[in-house]
Amino acid sequence: MQDEFNLLDMAEVPLHEWPVEQTLDNCIKCNICVTACPVAAVTDKFPGPKYEAPQAGRFRHDMQPTPDASVDYCSGCRVCNEVCPTGVRIAEINARARRQITKDSGIPLRNRLLGRNELLGKIGSYVPRLANFGLQNPLSRSMADMMFGIAKEAPLPTWSTKGTFWDWFKRTRAQRLKSEKKVVYFNGCATMYYEPFIGQAAVAVFEHNGYEVIVPPQKCCGLPMLSNGEFDAASEYHQYNVDHLHDYAAKGYDIIGTSTSCTLTLKEEAPELLHLTDERSHKLSYATWDIFEWLRERHEAGELKTDFRPLNMVLPYHAPCQYRAHRVGKPALDLLELIPGLDVRESTARCCGIAGTYGYKSEKYQIAMDVGAELFDFVKTQGSQVEMTACDSETCRWQLEHGTDLPSRHPIEYLAAAYGLYDLERRALLNE
Amino acid sequence: MNEITIIGAGMAGLMAGWQAAKQGKKVKIVAKGWGATHWLSGCIDIVGYYPVDGTEVVENPVAAVKQIITDNPQHPYGLVGLDDIEAMISALKDECAAAGYPLHGELHRNWLLPSAVGTLRPTCLAPEMMIAGDMRQNSPLLIVGFKQLMDFFPNVVSDNLNKQGITAAQAMVDLRVLRERSFINPVILAEMLEQPAVQKELANQIKPHLGQAERVGFPSVLGMDQAMTVKKELERLLGRPVFEIPSLTPSVPGMRLHHILTQAIVSAGGRIENGMEAIGAKKENGKVTAVYTSTAARPHPHRSQQYILATGGILGGGITTNSDGDVREVVFDLPVTAPLKQVDWFHQDFLDKRGHPIYQSGLSVNKQFQPLDDGGQPVYGNVFAIGTTLAHCEAIRERSFEGVALATGYALARQLGAT
Repeated sequence: MQDEFNLLDMAEVPLHEWPVEQTLDNCIKCNICVTACPVAAVTDKFPGPKYEAPQAGRFRHDMQPTPDASVDYCSGCRVCNEVCPTGVRIAEINARARRQITKDSGIPLRNRLLGRNELLGKIGSYVPRLANFGLQNPLSRSMADMMFGIAKEAPLPTWSTKGTFWDWFKRTRAQRLKSEKKVVYFNGCATMYYEPFIGQAAVAVFEHNGYEVIVPPQKCCGLPMLSNGEFDAASEYHQYNVDHLHDYAAKGYDIIGTSTSCTLTLKEEAPELLHLTDERSHKLSYATWDIFEWLRERHEAGELKTDFRPLNMVLPYHAPCQYRAHRVGKPALDLLELIPGLDVRESTARCCGIAGTYGYKSEKYQIAMDVGAELFDFVKTQGSQVEMTACDSETCRWQLEHGTDLPSRHPIEYLAAAYGLYDLERRALLNE
Repeated sequence: MNEITIIGAGMAGLMAGWQAAKQGKKVKIVAKGWGATHWLSGCIDIVGYYPVDGTEVVENPVAAVKQIITDNPQHPYGLVGLDDIEAMISALKDECAAAGYPLHGELHRNWLLPSAVGTLRPTCLAPEMMIAGDMRQNSPLLIVGFKQLMDFFPNVVSDNLNKQGITAAQAMVDLRVLRERSFINPVILAEMLEQPAVQKELANQIKPHLGQAERVGFPSVLGMDQAMTVKKELERLLGRPVFEIPSLTPSVPGMRLHHILTQAIVSAGGRIENGMEAIGAKKENGKVTAVYTSTAARPHPHRSQQYILATGGILGGGITTNSDGDVREVVFDLPVTAPLKQVDWFHQDFLDKRGHPIYQSGLSVNKQFQPLDDGGQPVYGNVFAIGTTLAHCEAIRERSFEGVALATGYALARQLGAT
């Protein structure tokens, strides 16, 4: 793809449409990314974004060994992209560089496991109590640490013991709203197997606003594989999703997700990293929304119900990195601020540290905790009246709970609670 | 809906956002990335050389600004006027003092501070961290560098100062904490220097080199949030004043100012969103009704009553050029004042004392900061432009970069706040 462009042509192409690798030419070595990088701030193993994407990038070639092994320590949080004043797509270039490493030296079993959260989710969901016992007891966790390099302290999720999200959706089919106005819900693996109540809260909010919810067949978005350098497998998953969601996109339905990283993958990560420029991927990207991005749009059009009951609490809110990478501002913050009584405190911490599967890895666990310290400290300084926190991304919520010992909820749970549909303590719909 | 959307988070955008939010306006700043704050020295230049040929150092910016306004009424200072420059300076000084990071200086008197290559640099406001480096008093200096910090060479500073008749010695320190690291950058070094043990080791290594030095200069890495504490502790340990010299990017003093301004904006109820590149606007009936930023999927509309363009000039990315000789403003496609033909962009001589015409290109605005069309009429009723995106000034050579950005941001915000 790079060959199609030459320097003269590029001047005519808006920056945001440049091919990813080409953007490294824009680096002016100002080091702003190095000062912003949360990983470089806590470990000497990662020199900072500038040294990887725009510098080592010049020496990267398919036929040669990777020039920067340290790029494996990039967590992929994308803070560098967010602060770069000249538009270098650093995080994407690094993701491709990590792929190069796996091509050179193979993918460790551990990374294959972490990349397959859907498969793990599915297996565990058959025997959730046993699986939870396996994942939460110190002996098996020590073994996993030694054998696979999965950190024994890391905050792994627990399987839902009340069935999957789809189990619930099928079971309650008769009660589901039918309407002319329809949305497609992309639930993602975490909602499917670990946190079906997030999907329930989302469905309740859609229906409260008069939308019928369609949940089509779908697979893992592929992001865990992309982050672990398994591009081929990720491509298969993405293709499945394109095949099953594309028709809805073509009909003009909005495809809405509650997991910020899944929606980011559908929108941009998968098409960009996998070089998918076909019309169908593009249409799907265009039709995909994060739930709060979509709800804010409804609100701006005056179509969102605002019959909120007061939620009297102080709520530290952290917009996850993957959400900021959507580049849509902070829509969850915009809407949570509408709820009476809710005193939302916005975190300015860069990253919680976990960065998807990064903080699960034994050699990176402590780095992830050191990165997250900024966020954990922010929560602590909000005072003892804080009982819960909020964050849009599942792995970040688990990390937040791990680092603060306070329960963390998805903003959609607070919105559903403010509509009087959801119990924040039990994490269940009120009518069930 | 926001009342004011500001595009750009450099000095101009941050100042306008802060002042407008402070007056109760609902403000959102959207920016492609972090701004010029991280590129600048952390000092506030008002005017350092006038005329811009670099031969005459300005001692009294008041007189120079008056002269600029007389010579060139279209200059951004001509739109702002001296009173608003004064008011901006006092607002900024108050905020920085309240944040425990005082700026010092007066509009009628420039400091003369050393640069990282040992030249003398006129500037109007300097952080307390830097003022002991003032070269209008001639007392011997020791300039200290860190062996692992490749951005600052103390011998270059001292040699050049000596050539100008200023007594300066140099020393290179080799701290244990730095020897243990593979990578070092100014921000990491600044945070390390906040540790008392590191301060002690630093002072102990410097003491044998003190000689006749009456003050000690460092690259600008003496602490991030705790800078003033670091300075005081080093002064206690060394028994004489210490000061910082701004060095290469990332600029730690610039970042300290950035923290103070962003904090002030958030405390006043404003919002700052990064990673959002403005790519176009929706225009209806002579007004802009939305500015679009690029996202991971569709362009995202920002609806607002008023829009302030603070995207910078060619360096900041607010104005682009191409090989056909087109000069464009990137968000609204506003008319740009620039030489019509590419051959007229530059003079023959690279270091021509008159400067190159292309660097004066930018937007022409009226006293309300509304960009004008070729007929001298405002292009859009609700679009304003500030900072180095404005034409008729050469901020870098004039050493007025921060002054033009902050003063236009301040003046516009006061205007909009009053309505």
